[in-house]
Amino acid sequence: MARTFAGAPDFPIGAKVSLANPQLRSNMARATRTIREKRNLRVSELDTWEELRVAGESIKRSGLANLHDLLTTFEKNVTDAGGHVHWAVDAEHARRIVLEIVEETGSKDVVKIKSMTSVEIDLNSALEKAGITAYETDLAELIVQLGDDLPSHIVVPAIHRNRDEVRDIFKAHMGEWGLKAPDDLSSAPEDLARAARLHLRERFLASQVGISGANFLVAETGSVAIVESEGNGRMCLTLPNTLISLAGIDKIIPRFEDLDVFFQVLPRSATGERMNPYNSIWTGVTKGDGPQNFHVVLIDNGRSSALDDRVGRDALRCIRCAACLNVCPVYERVGGHAYGSVYPGPIGAVLTPQLNHVTSDHVAQSLPYASTLCGACFDACPVRIDIPKLLVHLRGEVVDAKRSLTPKSQEQAGMRAASWLFARSSRLRSVGDFGAKTSSPLRGRKISLPGWLSGWSRFRAVPLPSQVTFATWWHKERAVEGETQQPSSRRREFRHKNTSIEPHALGIRPVVAPDAALNQANARDAILSAIRYSNRGQNEQPPIPRSYRRAARVETIDTIEHFKERVSDYQATVRYASFETIDSAIAEALSSRGSTSIVIPAGVPQEWLSSFAGTVITDDGTLEHASINAVDAVVTGCTAAIAETGTVILNSEADQGRRVITLIPDHHVVIVRSGQVVPDVPDVIARLDPARPQTWISGPSATSDIELSRVEGVHGPRKLDVIIVRE
Amino acid sequence: MRISLFVTCMNNVLYPDTGRAVVAVLERLGHQVDFVESQTCCGQMHLNAGYRPEGLSLARKVIDSFEKADVVVVPSGSCTSTMRHLWRDVATDERDEGLVRASEEFAPKVFEFTELLVDVLGVTDVGAYFERRVTYHPTCHSLRSIRVGDRPLALLREVRGIELVELPEFDQCCGFGGLFALKNPDTSAAMGLDKIANVIASGADVLCASDNSCLTHLSTLAKKSPSLVPGYRTDSVQSQPNFEVKHIAEILASTKEGL
Repeated sequence: MARTFAGAPDFPIGAKVSLANPQLRSNMARATRTIREKRNLRVSELDTWEELRVAGESIKRSGLANLHDLLTTFEKNVTDAGGHVHWAVDAEHARRIVLEIVEETGSKDVVKIKSMTSVEIDLNSALEKAGITAYETDLAELIVQLGDDLPSHIVVPAIHRNRDEVRDIFKAHMGEWGLKAPDDLSSAPEDLARAARLHLRERFLASQVGISGANFLVAETGSVAIVESEGNGRMCLTLPNTLISLAGIDKIIPRFEDLDVFFQVLPRSATGERMNPYNSIWTGVTKGDGPQNFHVVLIDNGRSSALDDRVGRDALRCIRCAACLNVCPVYERVGGHAYGSVYPGPIGAVLTPQLNHVTSDHVAQSLPYASTLCGACFDACPVRIDIPKLLVHLRGEVVDAKRSLTPKSQEQAGMRAASWLFARSSRLRSVGDFGAKTSSPLRGRKISLPGWLSGWSRFRAVPLPSQVTFATWWHKERAVEGETQQPSSRRREFRHKNTSIEPHALGIRPVVAPDAALNQANARDAILSAIRYSNRGQNEQPPIPRSYRRAARVETIDTIEHFKERVSDYQATVRYASFETIDSAIAEALSSRGSTSIVIPAGVPQEWLSSFAGTVITDDGTLEHASINAVDAVVTGCTAAIAETGTVILNSEADQGRRVITLIPDHHVVIVRSGQVVPDVPDVIARLDPARPQTWISGPSATSDIELSRVEGVHGPRKLDVIIVRE
Repeated sequence: MRISLFVTCMNNVLYPDTGRAVVAVLERLGHQVDFVESQTCCGQMHLNAGYRPEGLSLARKVIDSFEKADVVVVPSGSCTSTMRHLWRDVATDERDEGLVRASEEFAPKVFEFTELLVDVLGVTDVGAYFERRVTYHPTCHSLRSIRVGDRPLALLREVRGIELVELPEFDQCCGFGGLFALKNPDTSAAMGLDKIANVIASGADVLCASDNSCLTHLSTLAKKSPSLVPGYRTDSVQSQPNFEVKHIAEILASTKEGL
């Protein structure tokens, strides 16, 4: 049975276990340092970074404030485009919905893209119980699944493993799930990536059902966007006939154009890249291209309740980039498992207590204290979630939840004593002066403090006052007669305000017994009414500050050179050609990689291939996956290209074809006309048609899942050649 | 200028020398220092621990005590941050409109010691002399909450006789974190040990900072055997560290004649 976080110890205990593991410590230190440096480099390239953060915050903030309307708009647009939308009140309900869809297909296995939402609802255990095998296809998730492990990071779930451990896991367990690893498998990340490619290729080609998460749900168009690196995502999103996308209701953004912020901040924050290799955006069902049976499961699971917390709701802005994990000094030392939660690190420490009910769950209660409040997370967050502020707020909720408990804890007693001490300056002075007078016999002695305070003295000496307090010194030496200020008569007495905050939306959230026959209509109503309740008085629609779009446009020739340089950074090859020489440029690109058979979409002009001597198959929309898998390469045009990020965008036009033909062959030759190249991400949005499936390609398929070092070539094409045609 | 000192509860009881150092520097620069004797604590510990009403009651007490002050100097980055940001945030949380307003009115009067010197008094050379090899640890609240930037370094650079050396990974938290040190002692100590290793690597004899709380954590940790800390590796801290810790005010107060 797939492992879960159930029964995990409180954070301090989990942390202690991790700290004592030297291998984990050095893996984590190396990996987080690598990713921090990459992220800082890529962020420093943008002089609009702070403006992008403000815009990202603002978009997500208004998305949450208008969540009810955005979700219903999204639902309508998905349905109009031939998809199905399901509403899940909690994890159990979401599992049931997914199971029903899978069982209806009759398939006994599913291929999965890494999805933290799927881990959150513990989907794999439910599938396993129902006799359905879930194959994780993301390299890191594969490492986790083969090693019977748990994810320890939101973006790089196997960050706690180094390359040697990965090799050992592959060699020991790949054979139990399918094609076994080669006996001579080395621990070079390139070899490990190749082993994963071989292991999963047949699985992808035969798959009937794909399960994904979602990075963004676009309300205005009903589109779903997924960013990924390896191409396993594209495989799962395009090859199976049935696709189920799981999404927390917080994943919604209002407009398609808002992606121009998130496609800039997410890759830079997550993996320290200008753009991750693949972004997939699709809307409902496209006839003849990709899954013909598409389901979105909108999951509440505590979110509408978190939304009711005016401070805590900010955590729902999270775009799961994990930048806060990578900069967190606590996370770096203890790793993800210590948090005992699907979402580890700083964001997990504010999200988990809200999703798991901080007032009752003891692991959740320990998480807000799993931070020194150093603030590095807030500085790194691309949507400006003030995590330290949320942590302090949630600590308040934990303390309040425990106030009525008896007997009082040592901590409560200690805080009470401190309150008494600080209530009068005379008390503080007397206690301090008394300490100074009497402490000399203890000086230099080992002191063990009792109970709760032993946390200090276990590793540290106990500081003792050695001189009279500053206040006493001042009073004796400096205070002028008559100037000594008495405590103000206006001083308000300590009063314990009733801190029971107004009831969470919990009260009116759907109260549904787990076994009750939940139908879609009442789940939808329950979620929407809980959102409406949580958002009462929150109907703000502030304008989004778009100053990040101010980037000066450079001359066309510079843009082209810039594009060439950026594409080359991804280990892709770039050639120039004219309309007269395009055929020879294509032939050269193909022969340079030894490609002798190709597939082309119907819209690619035959004269482009007049210099190519090999076999050409034209896709009429009916080619089998196996036939596409048998050719060496694919040649296509594109819809647009972005210089700053070195990205080529296919929007399923006639010279680009179905998504599958640019995915399965190992070599992709793409023709970019100079007029198609725009300077930066915001410039490209207007050129795209959200109704058609889109693939944004930035270099060959790649992974950073092993020790955060980027390796080219996993499931998508390993070789990318770009030919720029000057117009 | 008349400047009112909020010495902080910790300095009051454990580090009166830091308070005296602040007074010495300011008086040397020709200013008048007040000390409101009714002051105790800004409430940081209670507020950060989640004891909101208790912490806010201390906040009210500070606001009342310093009602007449125009400028309040605080020799602590984290207490300054508490007074400037945390009071308002927690008062908002507790729906105490009056205290939100009072906190917002109070905040502009509050300056961390190095901020006061550089921004309000406009000095970087305070006439100090300190002939030691010194490294500076920017505490997290100084660095990321109140953002003192390089003000402390600008002040230290003007100190005669000082040899300033850089602290590797200076922006990393030392692991103190207030109650964190008690609730997560193992993690706190592991982080502290890494900071100590960096101090040793810097070659400094003196580690200075704007917060005695972080310095206490490091100095008391350094006094015990590092091998007690989980995950302790012999390559990080090999011997008993022998650097001294000092609040930055004490370095700035130091002269050839002594304090």
